[in-house]
Amino acid sequence: MGLSLVILRKDLLIEIRRKDSVISMIFFGILLLFVMSMAIGIGRKVDPELASGILWISILFSSVLGLGRTFSLEKTNRCIDGLLISPVPPSSVFVAKTSVNFFFMLISEAVIIPVFFALHGDNITIGLAPLLATVLLLNLGFASVGTLFSGITAATRRNEVLLPLLLFPVITPLIAFTVKATGEIFAGVPFGEYSAWLRLMAAFGLIFSCAGYLLFDYVMKEN
Amino acid sequence: MKDGFIDRFLVVISTALMLTAIYTIFFYAPTEIMMGIVQKIFYFHLPMAFMAFLSYFVAFVCGVLYLIKKDIKWDIIGSASVEIGVVFTTLVLITGSLWARPIWNTWWTWDPRLTTSFILWLIYVAYLILRASVEQVDRRATFCAVMAIVGFIDVPIVFLSARLWRTIHPVVIKSRSIDIEPAMLTTLAISMAAFLLFWLTLLRIRSRVDFTELRIRNLEKIRRGGM
Amino acid sequence: MDDTSFLRIQGLRKSYEDVDALRGVDLSLARGDFLCLFGPNGAGKTTLIKIVADLLKPTSGTVEISGGQNLDGGIRSRIGLISHQTLLYDELTAMENLQFYSSIYKIPDPEDKIDSLLHTVGLHNRRDERVSTFSAGMQQRLSIARALINDPVLLLLDEPYSGLDQFAATVLSNHLKELHARHRTIIMVTHNLTRGLETANRIGILSEGRLVYLKDRAEIDLRSFEDHYFTHMEAV
Repeated sequence: MGLSLVILRKDLLIEIRRKDSVISMIFFGILLLFVMSMAIGIGRKVDPELASGILWISILFSSVLGLGRTFSLEKTNRCIDGLLISPVPPSSVFVAKTSVNFFFMLISEAVIIPVFFALHGDNITIGLAPLLATVLLLNLGFASVGTLFSGITAATRRNEVLLPLLLFPVITPLIAFTVKATGEIFAGVPFGEYSAWLRLMAAFGLIFSCAGYLLFDYVMKEN
Repeated sequence: MKDGFIDRFLVVISTALMLTAIYTIFFYAPTEIMMGIVQKIFYFHLPMAFMAFLSYFVAFVCGVLYLIKKDIKWDIIGSASVEIGVVFTTLVLITGSLWARPIWNTWWTWDPRLTTSFILWLIYVAYLILRASVEQVDRRATFCAVMAIVGFIDVPIVFLSARLWRTIHPVVIKSRSIDIEPAMLTTLAISMAAFLLFWLTLLRIRSRVDFTELRIRNLEKIRRGGM
Repeated sequence: MDDTSFLRIQGLRKSYEDVDALRGVDLSLARGDFLCLFGPNGAGKTTLIKIVADLLKPTSGTVEISGGQNLDGGIRSRIGLISHQTLLYDELTAMENLQFYSSIYKIPDPEDKIDSLLHTVGLHNRRDERVSTFSAGMQQRLSIARALINDPVLLLLDEPYSGLDQFAATVLSNHLKELHARHRTIIMVTHNLTRGLETANRIGILSEGRLVYLKDRAEIDLRSFEDHYFTHMEAV
């Protein structure tokens, strides 16, 4: 755990200096919100479920931009060799990188979601606490699978192109759960009626964070 | 050359069985009253869906074995299995669609099983794209093993999500349960056996291509370098 | 092969798809040995270093360090690696890079250690500047400090002199001499005959994946060694 924190701190420091991952995530997210608003017809009132879809597509697609960077920065100057020869277990690197991705997503969501409400908030109930829970659970699942796959794609010659191709098919259930849950939140349905979706999201996050934790060892050694 | 003999034997047997299955389907099994001749597609559809699933399971097992043993054999069998699985999944989607058109009056519905097949198709096509993107053999094998494991872990979750998604929605189209007559059941069993053997034959022949390629590469290396 | 050997490599092979990089290397080093390996490009030198560092798995054969396989028993925390890549983070300062590496090695009270290392590689006055602003030579010097942060008992060097300026090369040579005097085991792969022969106590030549020459430095007659060396270089 201590080692993961060391790596996490280092990655956050690097991001504070470069700022490129989070800023491009935010920018692309807002861009997607705008593009999709145009696609459905500007000024059209959206129902809660459609609004939920628009929000999550923006967040998911923009988050992929950050994913690729967090792992591939270790490949510059072969820093990854420095980690591999050290006593740091790859699973600690997995925990660190997953947390980094988790935080980057959280920061960009903190900007994208308010912008979304400004654009489409009219018909929507704002349930802040359940929405926050949804965000955290989505980030867990997305960051876990994403980190595992970013380790794979960083070692291929098609890094950035390949990552979304591998990632999105695997997380389709997570996307389905998230869009459903958020749709109900936006519709102002009582918590009891959609809590099942959140539990499923949590299950997805747990299963794949464990799978990633176990499999990352093999992936990282191939880099 | 014992392997070659087994392969030829398998080809002969599975061809014979497949012909028998086709004969049974069209001349022995009674035509379903409600759906008519279209229902016969079911004798292909179901076994193929089953074989697709079997392929992914085999790929999962091979993936685990590869990561433990690091023997390239498991990579070859696993990837051959995924390739066959993708072909069968594609055929499942097509036959399902063909059946749905006259029966449900649409090419596509978000029926849980259909949706699951579609997502599985996406996952394992991604596997094939990944496979084509890595050249170094050990690395490719490791990554593909990981992808096969992750993909298979996803299968039950995908199915669950597809089902829950539907049941909460109003059910527009209810899938009619198919009354199975004994003759139909026999037909299905024969077809199932035929496809199982066909699958095994394909798997053996497909992996043998890769094994041969591996041997050729080693021979070339010896010729070039002199061991 | 005596029991006192610190590093023992047996029957090491590494095959890639199109080429066999190593074709059976046997080697045994005592604690405090400094082996310098020469050899033409593609001889398998980098592969050998990577396998010893456990960055690469051999196709067959074993590497035992300090009696244990797979770098167990704490030996992993005492290995240093210098290659032509710096293993440094461009966005971090010299100080932060060394702090990061000392924390992943869990070095207690690293401040003094970092300070003295920065002094010896001549970067103390620029310790708070980002690595991306450094020249290639400065980055290499910092990389030397990085590799020494955990006081390695086994130091692996892959072409460390390539891209070094005169000052950095001298810094490196002095460090190597000092480590050698302190009985650290060192394996260095290089094309630089002068530097190699000047510091090492054992000299080897790797060619086409085999160790074709291995002698104590003291036994080597310079003239005949150069003949040997050039024969192997030309053979490829």
